[in-house]
Amino acid sequence: MAKFLLLAFRNIFRNRRRTLMTLFMVGGGVAGLLLAGGYFAFMTHGLREDTINSGLGHMQIFTAEHFNRDENRVLDTGIENWRQVAASVKTGSHVRGIAPRIDFYGMVSNGTKAAGFMGSAVDPEAEQSLGFITYIESGRNLDPKPSGEVEALIGKGLAKSMNVGIGDGLTVLAMTSDGALNGVDVQIVGIINSGAAERDARYLRITLPAAQRLLQSDRVTNLVVGLDSTENTDRAYAEMMPRLNGLSQQLVLKKWIDLATYYNQVNSMFNGIFLFMGIIVFFMVLMSSVNTLLMSMFERTREIGTMLAMGTPRAWIIALFMVEATMLGLAGAAVGLVAGNLLGALLNSSGLHMPPPPGYTQPMPFKVRYVPLEMVASSLLVIVSLAFASILPAVRASRLRIAEALAHV
Amino acid sequence: MEEIVNVEAVSRRFPLDNSSAHHPAHSFVSALTHASLRVTAGEFLAIAGPSGSGKTTLLNLIGCIDQPTTGRILVDGVDTSQLKPGSMSKLRREKIGFVFQTFNLIPVFTAAENVEYPLLIQGVSSRERRERVAEALESVGLSARAQQRPDLLSGGERQRVAVARAIVHRPALVLADEPTANLDTHNATQLIDLMHGLNRSLGLTFIFSTHDARLLDHTERIIRLTDGEVVSDSSIEGGSRG
Repeated sequence: MAKFLLLAFRNIFRNRRRTLMTLFMVGGGVAGLLLAGGYFAFMTHGLREDTINSGLGHMQIFTAEHFNRDENRVLDTGIENWRQVAASVKTGSHVRGIAPRIDFYGMVSNGTKAAGFMGSAVDPEAEQSLGFITYIESGRNLDPKPSGEVEALIGKGLAKSMNVGIGDGLTVLAMTSDGALNGVDVQIVGIINSGAAERDARYLRITLPAAQRLLQSDRVTNLVVGLDSTENTDRAYAEMMPRLNGLSQQLVLKKWIDLATYYNQVNSMFNGIFLFMGIIVFFMVLMSSVNTLLMSMFERTREIGTMLAMGTPRAWIIALFMVEATMLGLAGAAVGLVAGNLLGALLNSSGLHMPPPPGYTQPMPFKVRYVPLEMVASSLLVIVSLAFASILPAVRASRLRIAEALAHV
Repeated sequence: MEEIVNVEAVSRRFPLDNSSAHHPAHSFVSALTHASLRVTAGEFLAIAGPSGSGKTTLLNLIGCIDQPTTGRILVDGVDTSQLKPGSMSKLRREKIGFVFQTFNLIPVFTAAENVEYPLLIQGVSSRERRERVAEALESVGLSARAQQRPDLLSGGERQRVAVARAIVHRPALVLADEPTANLDTHNATQLIDLMHGLNRSLGLTFIFSTHDARLLDHTERIIRLTDGEVVSDSSIEGGSRG
């Protein structure tokens, strides 16, 4: 067996130039996949953490009715004893903190113009303790206990459309739980630029007590749970679920992945592109290797005839070609892994940026992540592709007529 | 004496690529016609004849790497016409050693590894392989060149490695197709003497083909072929003379 493998190994280096070309091609395919996959992984990982840290948190608690709520009276389906629920959940392992929220909708007016908004009422201290990013472009964050007027942060687009800036006042109108229209005057203390233009065109943020006064309810729409690490989400979820049973309201616990619609769309798109690239590389390696291996088989016709004449089983000839191709695939994968990782390191230290994607205003850093699974998958892909490519030459070699093969010039 | 090869009225025809359905009589070429011969164990036999006389075809048929169109061949008592490809392969592996005109060594193997190859495909243990390879190389006087690759060996040395490869598994029969065709006269004579010596010392049966009349002086039995027909067999002629 060892001698057989040795024969296959040495055969790889018979035509060094051709082997080198194959290694470049296979290695290039692997390196390309690693760079593309690494970039996608960097993007999705960044998007994942951005999504979580921009306020989504690792998990959120809602009432079961929340998902059928009336958007004008959001607190009708809100959590009643949310302090009790938060206290119960906060003691769970991996839990870093709880942030109560009210997500609500209404109108803002500057006296001459009105616009719809998508509001978020928060506890600034809780948000800060969980490390949630507010993306304040100018001004400051909300004061947790303001002494004077109600403070507000508004999106850059909304500020522009309402023609207001820091220090200006706005009237916020929303519907109370009773169905009455209520209003509160707010003072703008900061402008938010989250990078998502569509969101910033409608966004408004005030403190939780201010929103509860406006909506005339002490409920919240949801509790955002922050964990020590995103990787612990499943574990914390399993532990937290029993704690939500037996309460007066039926509560629902959602993981970040269930709420991050945009992240899931982007992730699916990247997975699709990566799969498509993988298929292209597979067929590229397959088609060019079939030709290379057929040439190799043709050149060795007399040698194969000799081996068959000496009584070598035809299955051995097939195995020899397939092992040679697999070894070539392994060597190509190794070349690709080294090249891909080196290029990745070079790229990561280059400080290059990509233009902002549609709907975003910030350029994206051009970096790649090292994903072991992608390295294994890319390597396996080219190895399998080469093994596939060797089937035709191997079968043709094994079916050679010995007398004709021996007479081959 | 034990019969190793029995060729009974064997013919071999090859189809022509440009054969015409309208002229079936011209759609094939006859390489061998009604050839018969018997070879007993320990013989040293030459098949002589000009190019195209059917020497290689006859050796290919005896060596089970081709099938006769008509007739039958028995090798070591086995009717090869009844064998399936796998059994033919096994027969070649175990009973026959081959020496080719162009040496046909595996270029990426050393001399020792080339000699080892027939034992490798028979599944002989590595320890036994080592011993038998050393013996075979010793018997052809190439122990010192065991670790050289074929491209570093002279033509004569390569062919001696090929002889060692052909005898290492102790076959019942060694077939050599024009083994001296690519050698100069000196090396050719040396090779025939080497094969003859192995024939005597190990009792191996050798059948080789040649068109070089000078080498036939070293041979006990000569079968002459012309246009695919056996035209003379020195053993029969010798028998009739005696």
